[in-house]
Amino acid sequence: MRRFVSQGGFWVGALAAIAVALPFLVSSTFAIDIFIRVLLFAFIGVAWNLMGGYAKQLSLGHAAYFGLGAYTSTILLIRYDVSPWIGMLAGGIVAMLASLPIGALCFRLRGPYFAIATIATAQVLMLLFLKFRDFAWGAEGTTMPNLGDAPLMMQFDGKAPYYYVVLVLLAVGLAITYWIERSWMGYYLVAVGEDEDAAEAIGVDALQIKRNIYLVSAFLTALAGTFYVQYIYFIDPNTAFSFNVSVEAALVSIVGGIGTLWGPVIGTVLLEGTSALLQSWLGGGHGGVQLTVYSLILIAVILYRPAGLIGILTAAYDRVIAGTKRLNKVPLDD
Amino acid sequence: MLTTIAQAVVNGLLIGGIYALVSIGVTLIFGVVKIVNFAQGEFVMIGMYITFFLATSFGIDPLVALVISMLALFFIGVLLQHFLIRRVLELGDMPQIFLTFALSLLLVNIALLLFTANYRTVQTAYSETAIHIGAINVPLAKLIAFAVAMLLSGLLWMFLHGTDLGKAMRAAAQNRDVAMLMGINPDRVYCVAVGVALALAGAAGSLLMPFYPAYPLVGQIFVLMAFVAVVLGTLGNITGALIASLMMGVAESLGIQFVGADSGLIVVFVMLLLTLALRPNGLFGGWSR
Amino acid sequence: MTEALVIRNLSRRFGGLRAVQDVSFAVNECETLALIGPNGAGKTTSFNLITGHCRPDAGSVLAFGRELVGLRPHEICAHGLARTFQVARPFGKMTVLANVMTGAFLRDRRIEIARQQAREAIDFVGLAAKEHTPARELTTIDQRRLELARALATQPRLLLLDEVMAGLNPAEIDQAVALVKKLSQRGLTIVIVEHVMRAIMAVARHIVVLDHGQKIAEGNPREVVANPDVIRAYLGTGYAEPTAAGESHC
Repeated sequence: MRRFVSQGGFWVGALAAIAVALPFLVSSTFAIDIFIRVLLFAFIGVAWNLMGGYAKQLSLGHAAYFGLGAYTSTILLIRYDVSPWIGMLAGGIVAMLASLPIGALCFRLRGPYFAIATIATAQVLMLLFLKFRDFAWGAEGTTMPNLGDAPLMMQFDGKAPYYYVVLVLLAVGLAITYWIERSWMGYYLVAVGEDEDAAEAIGVDALQIKRNIYLVSAFLTALAGTFYVQYIYFIDPNTAFSFNVSVEAALVSIVGGIGTLWGPVIGTVLLEGTSALLQSWLGGGHGGVQLTVYSLILIAVILYRPAGLIGILTAAYDRVIAGTKRLNKVPLDD
Repeated sequence: MLTTIAQAVVNGLLIGGIYALVSIGVTLIFGVVKIVNFAQGEFVMIGMYITFFLATSFGIDPLVALVISMLALFFIGVLLQHFLIRRVLELGDMPQIFLTFALSLLLVNIALLLFTANYRTVQTAYSETAIHIGAINVPLAKLIAFAVAMLLSGLLWMFLHGTDLGKAMRAAAQNRDVAMLMGINPDRVYCVAVGVALALAGAAGSLLMPFYPAYPLVGQIFVLMAFVAVVLGTLGNITGALIASLMMGVAESLGIQFVGADSGLIVVFVMLLLTLALRPNGLFGGWSR
Repeated sequence: MTEALVIRNLSRRFGGLRAVQDVSFAVNECETLALIGPNGAGKTTSFNLITGHCRPDAGSVLAFGRELVGLRPHEICAHGLARTFQVARPFGKMTVLANVMTGAFLRDRRIEIARQQAREAIDFVGLAAKEHTPARELTTIDQRRLELARALATQPRLLLLDEVMAGLNPAEIDQAVALVKKLSQRGLTIVIVEHVMRAIMAVARHIVVLDHGQKIAEGNPREVVANPDVIRAYLGTGYAEPTAAGESHC
């Protein structure tokens, strides 16, 4: 057991070192942009996975929180000159507040109807922001004021600083997941995801646990929203509440391994990697290619690997470990 | 004022007939196979493109194309059930939801690749014709669509109540295990159910074509309408879905008339959320295990 | 002796079916009471009504002096009532240990404490060797053991057991009977729904007989077995009822 933990720790350390060193090793802006997208969607996936993966509340409406985070910080920045760093936290809080009534409505529903209801809430928010022309720029959206290199206002020269910001976000998301997974909350979440009635029968307040994890999930997703619009310097309802955000949040987790710590990261690397390759082969302007490929991968995973691709990796890892153990003649019992 | 309301109600009822075809399909699949088909709207879209190409390439009238698109979609439905849905039936919520969801994504994006996001329309001899009843204006194409939709719903009702296969389907919808004990082959029943449901979506596509443009995302509004109608009409209940669809059409039409042209979608979503909020018990019956 | 559980005039309909109708009985602390009756008599529905999985139309459920009607299942569990389900419902992808720890977290949120308490419960039901097996890989009987351990880990004062012995062979029934007796000796109040008469006779001093949702007899085992109404319920029309009608409403 201890051996496994220390080995796991080694790999995480190595991965972190590579992640930190990456902007120094790769200078291409195009590549850094892809890395930023990977980290961002991995982070959104991690946020989704806390609720969708562990507690099996299959939301297809996380764009609601992404959008609320994006709009809160942008409105604070443009209308009140508040730094997006503060706006980011404010956005997270707005998202948490929004998750309470949305959760109250949706958590009474199960399975597909939960998913449908969450789609509807995100769409309603998008339609509302399309209507708020005076306050939130309506359908035309707005660009961010360009402040040059202003780290305190979350604006940087070059892409590397953005990369580190989102890397920190992902690290925080993973740390929170790790901590929850190993505490009583992790057990309660999985129990609720497996069988809500049986969980209630042994004293789990299913409604409360779902509400709590929804708060965390909404908060983290909103941080991603702020980051994203700061990064692309533009916001409009179709970007901020994009259905694709909701879809991809769920997709990366399912493809990688639903309800696992590293699932969303693995899923994002695979999906975004494929998408980047496709783009470099086909060039831009082929609307639909990316999601066509994503949906094919998703169907394949559901039919052949419903537990996600992480299973393949851990199995391979176990084989390698078992192999080296046999070579070194180390007894198999730890 | 009265005329405006009457006109809005008529418009709503006419489009409600199309919603009914889609919702009956969703409710049939849910009732028999116990799957919510997120991709039902995309089969309407396929029906529209089939009709579009038959009309533009061979000059076939959409009402004739209807037969072809229904047959094609029935066949697709059988394949869909046999090769995809069947494999997730014993699995949990996640595979069941995301399989048809992925299918919906796939079909939309393939359509985007093949046909681009452009709107495609078909002009027929009756596209611009309208009948006037007093001050109310009834477009002929919509009236035909409504009449055919009602006819097909009636035929489905007769099929479910008058044939052995239809009765087997209703038995399977009531209780899968008992139906199997009675010697009903569930695979065959499921295939036919999905086939029929998709054929109805295909019919909806053909009927829409004379007055509604085809584009890759066209199915989404119909499937959302269908979800609301299916929930309102109690899951798995075909007559309920029909009546609810007509009501939805009217509600949407009144919303557009009195709240604003861009509010149709908001009205739909708010209705969906209200329905889910006020009638969750109707759902729980079907989904708590 | 004080009463652990007092049920008064409990009723519940499902559509036209009167699943439970005006049922009253009481269980003394540390006593074991058996709830018996033909299929469809309303035993499982009674459990669901007591544990909050289902709301009664009328009546009251008083446990250790507190009214339970209107409370949610987790609150009732926190109040000291734990149940097992007729068909075991383990958390399939968790290990045996994790399943039982989830129960233990009700009383203590610390991992180490929960693990220790879970191990005690697992030992008690005899699953120690399978601690790290995922629950879905267990046999039906082991899944039932697991469910019992999970319920025990919540440290209940009152345990409701729903047909824990169905499908066991005679040797296994003896083991189960010994287990129930041991629990009773520890001071647990037990309500047990069971079909295996031999087991009921061995564990219960007090029996309540339900038929068609109504209480038709109550007393010690000898009285109940001799009661003509009970004999009619079991051998008469009641026994010919189709089992497909099911007992697991709610």
